[in-house]
Amino acid sequence: MKNKKKGHNIKDITRGDAVVQNLSPSKVLLSHLICGIGLASSFWLAINIYSINLIDNPASTLRLIWLIEVPVVVLLYSLFRKDMNQSSYLKAVARGLLGLPVGAVVHALGAIVLGAPVGTQYFLRTLNWSLLMSTFTFVPAASVYGSSWVDWHRIFAQTKPIGSIDYMICLPAHGAVIGGWFGAWPMPLDWERTWQEWPICVTYGAIIGYLVGMLASFCSAVFRVSSQHVKGD
Amino acid sequence: MPAFITYNTKIRQTMASLTCTKFTLLAAAAILLQITGLSLFVFGFFPIRPALSGVSGPESFRPPSASCDSFEDQNFTALHPDQLKSLYQVLHYLGLDHVGHLGGRSSILMGPKLQEMDEVIKMIHLSTIQTQESGHGRTLLVVVSDHGMQNNGNHGGSSYEETDSLALFIGPRNSHASATDDTINQVDIAPTLALLFGVPIPKNNAGHLIVDLFHPIEDHQLLRVLELNSWQLLRLLQAQSTDSTCGSFICQAVKKDYSSGLDEYEGSLEEISSCLYLDAAALHRSWKSKHALRSASNDDLLCTVLAYSEFLRTASKQLSHRATDKPIGLLASGIMAMLLSCAMLLGLLFKLDKEIYPRREPSLSNLQIYKFQLAEVLAVVVMVVIVLSMGSSSLVEEEQYLWHFMTSTFFLVLLRQTIQSTKGGDLSNLLNSSMGNGNRTCIQLCSIAVIVISLRILRGWHQGGVNWTHLPDISKSLEMAGSSCIKSFQLLSVVLVISLCLYALSSLWSKSYIIIVIELSYLCAGLLVLQYVIKYQGSGIAASDNDASLAARLIYAFLVMLTTGTVIASPWVLSFQNSHTDLQDLTSNFQSMDLSLLIKDSLFLSGTTYMFGWCLLQLLLQQPVNLMPISLLLIQILATIYYASHGGADVKQWIEIAALYYLGMAGHFSLGNTNTLATIDVARAFIGISSHSTVLSGLIMFAITYASPMLALLSMVMSISMKDINPLREANMGQLFKMILGFPCLVPLALNSLLLVAYTIILLLMRNHLFIWTVFSPKYMYIVVTTVCVLVGVLIVASTVTYIICASVFLGRRQYKDHNSCVNS
Repeated sequence: MKNKKKGHNIKDITRGDAVVQNLSPSKVLLSHLICGIGLASSFWLAINIYSINLIDNPASTLRLIWLIEVPVVVLLYSLFRKDMNQSSYLKAVARGLLGLPVGAVVHALGAIVLGAPVGTQYFLRTLNWSLLMSTFTFVPAASVYGSSWVDWHRIFAQTKPIGSIDYMICLPAHGAVIGGWFGAWPMPLDWERTWQEWPICVTYGAIIGYLVGMLASFCSAVFRVSSQHVKGD
Repeated sequence: MPAFITYNTKIRQTMASLTCTKFTLLAAAAILLQITGLSLFVFGFFPIRPALSGVSGPESFRPPSASCDSFEDQNFTALHPDQLKSLYQVLHYLGLDHVGHLGGRSSILMGPKLQEMDEVIKMIHLSTIQTQESGHGRTLLVVVSDHGMQNNGNHGGSSYEETDSLALFIGPRNSHASATDDTINQVDIAPTLALLFGVPIPKNNAGHLIVDLFHPIEDHQLLRVLELNSWQLLRLLQAQSTDSTCGSFICQAVKKDYSSGLDEYEGSLEEISSCLYLDAAALHRSWKSKHALRSASNDDLLCTVLAYSEFLRTASKQLSHRATDKPIGLLASGIMAMLLSCAMLLGLLFKLDKEIYPRREPSLSNLQIYKFQLAEVLAVVVMVVIVLSMGSSSLVEEEQYLWHFMTSTFFLVLLRQTIQSTKGGDLSNLLNSSMGNGNRTCIQLCSIAVIVISLRILRGWHQGGVNWTHLPDISKSLEMAGSSCIKSFQLLSVVLVISLCLYALSSLWSKSYIIIVIELSYLCAGLLVLQYVIKYQGSGIAASDNDASLAARLIYAFLVMLTTGTVIASPWVLSFQNSHTDLQDLTSNFQSMDLSLLIKDSLFLSGTTYMFGWCLLQLLLQQPVNLMPISLLLIQILATIYYASHGGADVKQWIEIAALYYLGMAGHFSLGNTNTLATIDVARAFIGISSHSTVLSGLIMFAITYASPMLALLSMVMSISMKDINPLREANMGQLFKMILGFPCLVPLALNSLLLVAYTIILLLMRNHLFIWTVFSPKYMYIVVTTVCVLVGVLIVASTVTYIICASVFLGRRQYKDHNSCVNS
């Protein structure tokens, strides 16, 4: 019974994704490049225009980064919305924006459970950090899948992406979370460096993880295309 | 094998499985091996050397009594302490070290800081010159640095840059300036300083004086200081030699070379040094007799000084080697034994895992295997991370962060696993708690939420560690808020523990008046603790108060009697109550149902008794601010057991046991413990003890410090009672024991032995580290006591479960016979 149901689901998904699944590697690369450029430009803006940086002004820099990254991600991923026939582009954008605070709450709770400091002086930092993390993880998924529990469950609980869109969402999101987890390691050490403070090194870890995830997603797209060619031959 | 089990024909397919007896024997052998290895290592690494007690006094100006030397010259006390009224002042100048740590050797702050130091030294020196000129006394100014630094400012190793340090002696006889770039040992500074000041050398010092620093000096005074140092070292050698009779210091070594000016000897180090001493003493005597006749030549003096120096060098080397040399054979055999025991325990664990959870066919289990790997992998990763982190002294100091981080990650992964196990599209089920599966998932999610939230609160309770202790935490803010606030938290936690206890007891399957009696006695114990807390804790009444200690002793006695009584009586009491109902309706399969329920109920009752007995004891013993963490720990552990009992086959038993073990270890630090010895609560170890007793107060200290790991271990009895125990399904009693006791005993033992052996190796590698005595050795002590705690806990769990199952099976058999005779008649 369990297996039957799973098989049924998978078939459903493959049929549903038929339209968007054959996203070419170049498109995957392009969308990831846009996200990466958005991230880079936000850093450039912070340092050169506003003359702030992550180490000295973590809260305001984080705010700037997510403010620039959110529109890029929402507008980009809404193009790949799953139920293209039923919902409009605007609806997908609205879903993505709605996903932002929800994801922020989840990430903030997760961080606090793992030991992030609680207190009024850390409130803004935690808020902005969790909004940034939400931009990496929840926002694209919300834009593409909406409230489809099956898809969310498949991507985030089971980590079973099917098709390049799934990979584009799943791998960077997991990369960001795992990178952030590793980024927390230097925090308790007695090196007396300012970047050891919450959430600076965690943010660095998350961004590195996100970039690695995007790279992996692109590689998987290339690999899938080449293997399909082999199959076709 | 009991008669009623023989009809069971369904014998479990266990290919090449170990029988229970073999299994137990192997585990016991592993434990014995571990204990032996640990003792070998501890006695090899921390050797007990006989040391001279007390401080040096005037006796150091006399030759050692056991010496065969008959030299007695009491008039020769040129440097008596009474003659030199010295005033010590020690100035510790920390800034330079700090500048080095901040910016390294070539920091821009280094120049100004060094100039500042120069100014300070100049100031002191000028003032000493003034006092000397005015004839108020002589001053010796000593400037020493305790270490050098690498280019980046780090230090602690033994490289040239790190040990390159300064020793500057500015004395009244400043006509002589000698610069030496030789290596001198730190142990040599103490005797040199002592003799320069004219005070006795510390009894157990192994160094020899630095002769260069005494120039210019009169000949007889030079020989006198050498003699004093020789006497001190000879005393120490005599105290440490295996047979400290006078005879051993008779020169037994054979002179090897007669031709050279200095004698060379062959023989054991002890013999050589005693010969060298006798030579030097003889030369000294002859010099003195010549000196009295004014016929002593310069050569005589040189010979005597050389002879003394030779003895001092040999003796000092010998003593230093004794202090630092490790018996390699002993250490290696100890570590090998511990490694072997660790490998045996891990092997048994893998074997058991394979046996209990046989891998299904790949077609079916592909998903299944993948699904449950993450939590299992993480359970292993936790241990690997902890082991790796122990090599760094900073991470050992801040271990509490690591345990919390890894334990909460572990539970978050369990949370993910729980969500994973709901099928896709089950959101409605998840939210709709009326459905069975959804309800189960909901309960599991809630228990994990409770666990992670209380883990976080516990992390914030005590900041702990060494470097971030000053940061605010809950215990500090409670103490700031005043005693009434702490009191209310205390009362809340006592009430919480009592109500949880009563709730747990009331959820027993069987309901009878005996359960009510047990409930009432627990309520009574709880109320006694409550009364003690209200009356005596934090109200300024000393713990030595007579009433308070009487009340504490009453509670100890009551809790011990209640716990042991309940555990021993549980199967009898519950079966007695069951037999009433059985006589009325004699169903055909009553044994199976009854026996299983009897065992489960007795185990549950015993587990509850252990946990709450321990918790009530802790409520009495722990410091007032720690009462809330105790109740939070209890809630965590109950939630973990609850989570696992609702997980069915999804949660492997060893994962549950590992989770309990990790909770116990994380909780150890949230009760304010650290890896330094400073946080051991010695004052509270005397609660309820009227006369001084090392054993009793040691036991109480152990109970206070290891409250959390012990609670986690004791909770395993309750966790076992939640499992599906069916004695009739198993092939025999041995199989049954293996199934239910295997994991709860093996997992803590294996995890702990892994930590123990890894840390033992790390300690050996770090033996020359700067922080070996301040960081690594105290941590090793904690690890050794944790091992004791795990062994005791596992012993309690194993013996309780064995007793209850044996008693229940015995009772079931008797009932079966009674029933048969009843039917026959």
